[in-house]
Amino acid sequence: MGGRGLCPRGGALGELLCHRSRIVAPGLRRDGALHLAVMSSAVGAIVDAAGEGLTVLLDGNLPAEQIAAAAGWQDRWAQLKVCLVLPPAEEQLLLGVEASGVDYLSSADLASCDGFVIVGDAFAANPMCSRGVFDRRRAEPRTPIVVIDPAVGSAAKFASHRVAVAPGMELAALASVAASADVATGAVLSGEPAPSEAGAAIAQCRRLGVILAAEHGRGAAWRQIGYLAGRLAAAKGGGVAVQTTGANALAAVRLGVRYGTVCLAEAMANDSDAKLVIGCDLAGMLGMLNLRVLGAAAALPNATTAGATIVLPVAMPGEYAGTYLLDGGSRVWVRPVMPPPAGVPTADDLIGALALAAGVRPEPVERRDSDLDRVDVPAPPPVEPPRPPRGPMLLLGRRADQAGEGALTAHAAWQAAVQPVPELRIAPADAEAAGIENFSIVTVRAANRAVKAAVKMTPELPPGVMVLPEGFPQARALLGARVDDSIGAVAASPAAVEVSA
Amino acid sequence: METHTSQTVTRRVLVDLDRCIECGSCAAACSVSHAQVPAIHFARAGVALLPVVCRQCKAAPCVDTCPAEAMVCDDDGVVRRRLFRCVGCGSCVRACPFGVIPTRLSGTPVQSRSPDRLSGHQAAKCDLCHDRTAAGNGAEPRCVAACPSGALMFLDERTEEPLGAELLGGRTAGEHPFKRR
Repeated sequence: MGGRGLCPRGGALGELLCHRSRIVAPGLRRDGALHLAVMSSAVGAIVDAAGEGLTVLLDGNLPAEQIAAAAGWQDRWAQLKVCLVLPPAEEQLLLGVEASGVDYLSSADLASCDGFVIVGDAFAANPMCSRGVFDRRRAEPRTPIVVIDPAVGSAAKFASHRVAVAPGMELAALASVAASADVATGAVLSGEPAPSEAGAAIAQCRRLGVILAAEHGRGAAWRQIGYLAGRLAAAKGGGVAVQTTGANALAAVRLGVRYGTVCLAEAMANDSDAKLVIGCDLAGMLGMLNLRVLGAAAALPNATTAGATIVLPVAMPGEYAGTYLLDGGSRVWVRPVMPPPAGVPTADDLIGALALAAGVRPEPVERRDSDLDRVDVPAPPPVEPPRPPRGPMLLLGRRADQAGEGALTAHAAWQAAVQPVPELRIAPADAEAAGIENFSIVTVRAANRAVKAAVKMTPELPPGVMVLPEGFPQARALLGARVDDSIGAVAASPAAVEVSA
Repeated sequence: METHTSQTVTRRVLVDLDRCIECGSCAAACSVSHAQVPAIHFARAGVALLPVVCRQCKAAPCVDTCPAEAMVCDDDGVVRRRLFRCVGCGSCVRACPFGVIPTRLSGTPVQSRSPDRLSGHQAAKCDLCHDRTAAGNGAEPRCVAACPSGALMFLDERTEEPLGAELLGGRTAGEHPFKRR
């Protein structure tokens, strides 16, 4: 439950907790097939195979206690490195917001704002945040709602000012809005941004709410976007509401900085260590469908377990208690709905079992409440304005009924029923040029990969932009995530695309 | 149980078109409680895809036209379908003047998805989540409780003040929120 509503993602939880595909026992892959194993032999096999080093890529949306326990093992086990995995764009965005020093707003706080700037499809990322915007608009119908979203998602339909923006150009568009509202942009973007009519609309705001949703595959400048959005909101007496895929992303960013965990780019670049992915679908998130790892612990099968030599069970949300930094950064203690199945460990228990098997002595982990306080992060360096793309570009767009890469929600009956194949949103002019009809099944090609999709003509999309839902790992694979050396983080960008009947 | 009663429902599900963000939470919540077949129909209005729910007509054409007496008005005026009487003929689907009894979901006939093989019913029918709302206590149908943006409301037409055009955002007009029903 979130506020007064049943979370559309949480609605599927009851079904998933007892899903028939639930992984409840370890499996060892031999000759391409998984064979059942006992936990002790699976753990021993990981420790033996790890040899010199083991990098654990841990779901960043676990409760703070589990993250702290995992980081505690990292301090005592020299061969262990822990990486907290968040969607790369979201992690960068949160780091940028932290650096700006701006206040966070909860969904309820939004109703007290007198103007809004929305970047990305925040309403699909977290439908709860729309309520505060609508409450404010009902009280004052002329409230400016500026939306920057090249994929024209659900939030864009409610915009009073929809900023025309090309794929991957969100930072330039936000800089134009900020400059028009008399906020300096030189710290994040070289050059002088063009004035924007939307910026003039928010110039008189006294409490501006900036709602951010970091979209996968929209370039590498999310840290700069977060920083500039924070500066803009602070200059207008307001705050920032960041809508993330998982419930505890802000805590993961703060704890990651505080505990010194390795970043995803570093973990991916390290080929010498064995990799164990726990609780997240790394391959699906990055669209690396051929990713091979030593081990993967998951509640339900996903793209990462498909490429793992050893598959382990792990508890899923709803089966463990812990502290979350929810709406607006408030600390919430969440109780479990039910215990995990017999023999299924939590993530920190699993890392502990690995450490004990490696001969590491357990010691109590000291965790302080202040660990979840704001961290000092340097301001991001300025970047060059990107060049506008040429030709049709593929973007990924959010859907409110799918979370992230769809590793969990793809197993829910309702989500599988409403969209069995990805839906390609396309402007009518582009569809006519490609000779494809509405509702037809087409092949979308990019980066030497192809995916089948159902056409949905969308008149509000500008020509040259095509949108696939982000909840399909096959769609993410079209964009090709990579380590961006300029920012030292993993990023994906809009891709040139071909569509054929 | 009679096919018609003198009772009419007084609390209805109302959609504020200016708040619906098309997240599908209402249909997902309905799906969970109605054997994976949601009783909410989505209607395309221009670029918007809006949820439409049964209006619980007093003289319901679906009740009149049902040859198997599967559609009935219960004692509270709620139009309900009796699962074991439904033969899946689709008469109610064609009779409904508002087109709110869905037959297809993502292009596939609902009948073929239905786990209720015994009755082979055609589609789910909104019963205002009678299992929740009959007890009173301010309980709302699941679709209303799940709506994150506040677009769906469960209002009593006897006691609610006429909210007029402001409530409906001017799109559907009307001095009274129930006027267009």
